[in-house]
Amino acid sequence: MKQDKALLVLENLSIGYSGVLASEINARVDPGEVIAVLGPSGIGKTTLVRTIAGLVEPIKGDVELNVEKQGGLGYIPQKLGLVRHASVYHNVNLGARASLPLLKGGSEERRKRVNSALVALGIEEKTTEPVRRLSGGQLRRVATARALAQRPSLLLADEFLSELDHYTVDVVIAAVKELLDTGTSIIMVEHHEENVALLATRVWLIQDEKLLDFSIDEWERIGPGIQLDHRLGGEEE
Amino acid sequence: MRKSFIVVIFLLLILAWMTLYNLVDDWGRLEGGWENLTTFVSESMWPPNWSVIEAQSYPVCEKDIEFFCSVGYLGMIETLKIAFVSTILGFIGALCLSSFAARNLMPMYVALPFRLILSATRSLPSLIWAILFVIVIGFGPLAGVLAMTFYTVGYLGKLQYETFEGMPSDALEVSKAMGLSHATTFTSVVIPETGNHLLSQLMFMFEYNVRHGTVIGIVGAGGIGYYINTYLKFLQYDKVLALLIIIFVVVVLIDLLSLMVRSFVNDEGDVRRPTWLKAMLKVYRNRRSATEE
Repeated sequence: MKQDKALLVLENLSIGYSGVLASEINARVDPGEVIAVLGPSGIGKTTLVRTIAGLVEPIKGDVELNVEKQGGLGYIPQKLGLVRHASVYHNVNLGARASLPLLKGGSEERRKRVNSALVALGIEEKTTEPVRRLSGGQLRRVATARALAQRPSLLLADEFLSELDHYTVDVVIAAVKELLDTGTSIIMVEHHEENVALLATRVWLIQDEKLLDFSIDEWERIGPGIQLDHRLGGEEE
Repeated sequence: MRKSFIVVIFLLLILAWMTLYNLVDDWGRLEGGWENLTTFVSESMWPPNWSVIEAQSYPVCEKDIEFFCSVGYLGMIETLKIAFVSTILGFIGALCLSSFAARNLMPMYVALPFRLILSATRSLPSLIWAILFVIVIGFGPLAGVLAMTFYTVGYLGKLQYETFEGMPSDALEVSKAMGLSHATTFTSVVIPETGNHLLSQLMFMFEYNVRHGTVIGIVGAGGIGYYINTYLKFLQYDKVLALLIIIFVVVVLIDLLSLMVRSFVNDEGDVRRPTWLKAMLKVYRNRRSATEE
């Protein structure tokens, strides 16, 4: 049962840079949903996420985002977007500051959020460490902790579970579930089907310049066949 | 690729030579130039006159060490003070303006006017600024401070916004998506990410202002330049040489200080290279433990 107020509505959207990657995209995201965006490399998954984040202008159509302007939208890009020369605490605190700006007070609440995010991701002992000294897995934990401290209404996560060992995936997924409990919706670009099954409630498949929207039950029924097609796909985005 | 690079360099050299040939109408002036220089240096400048680091005859020195009453010390200290104050004020002013002039932080319609302001401040050399302020507020170090502050704002501002524009975009994109304010993005993302470059530019500017402090002193804006100008007027080139050596030593010291300061913030600072002493001690300990076994 869909609620009246969707967090995100995509209407007749065409995305791309110099050329169109996908067009006539019509979709919506309701509170509490986890959308997995699938498709071969170079098909436009990252471009779709960047368009929703307001970092790329749509070629055509509208992106209607019904979240708070400050801190309502969270973003974990492929490169994670961490401040390399600052500490782990500083980076996680940026998330808390997005939804609880300094001028509006709430420093105690910010500190609480940051500390609990650090503990949830198991990086509480790295608090003062500069981010540039961390390993790849630890960096992903910091980026997830930033989102956890922010508690956005909608989180855009671009391949944030890739290149992680099983233990770290478990830790990050546990933290993401904690985030879902706070009412966050997630749009995640993902390649691994086992991660999709763990989190997603819906699947958006981008294929042949179109976005196909499946419920997770539909996807589990017909997904494996479609997957075979898109594994043949193109170049890096 | 390498061949075309050599051809381009060769063509540029020919172009430079042709331009120079067009500029100079009397090549005969080069004749005897080296001889004139050696005569001037050996008869008028060399050896440097180190009386500039002895106490001046007036006012009477009341300090225990005479050096602290010397022209070299007093002039250099005043130049350093002028350079220090104007570098700090100019750095802060430049940061405020450059945060609005960087195209990745602000839309072009905001960035452009700020770039124009920075260009305008930079287009006048510090010497012209000094002449202007000497006319407006009279001789002395305040004119020097104001002149160099204005120039520093223009010069550092350009270096800063170019540094901001060159930083990796992913952290900025996250800030934008999260809805962080311009002030938070600038202070919490941009400054930490570019801190090493900013510090390096700050130290460079301080060194630059120390060197230029000597020039603006010549037009009456205080500092060691005032004394250099006085000695030039009285043809005391040996004293001028001594003051130039002092400036050189100070500039080298600032460069070393800059190296040390930057080592605290760059990536290399994370990895401590073993010193020769530590390496030798390690070999000695290994050998000793081997013989004991």
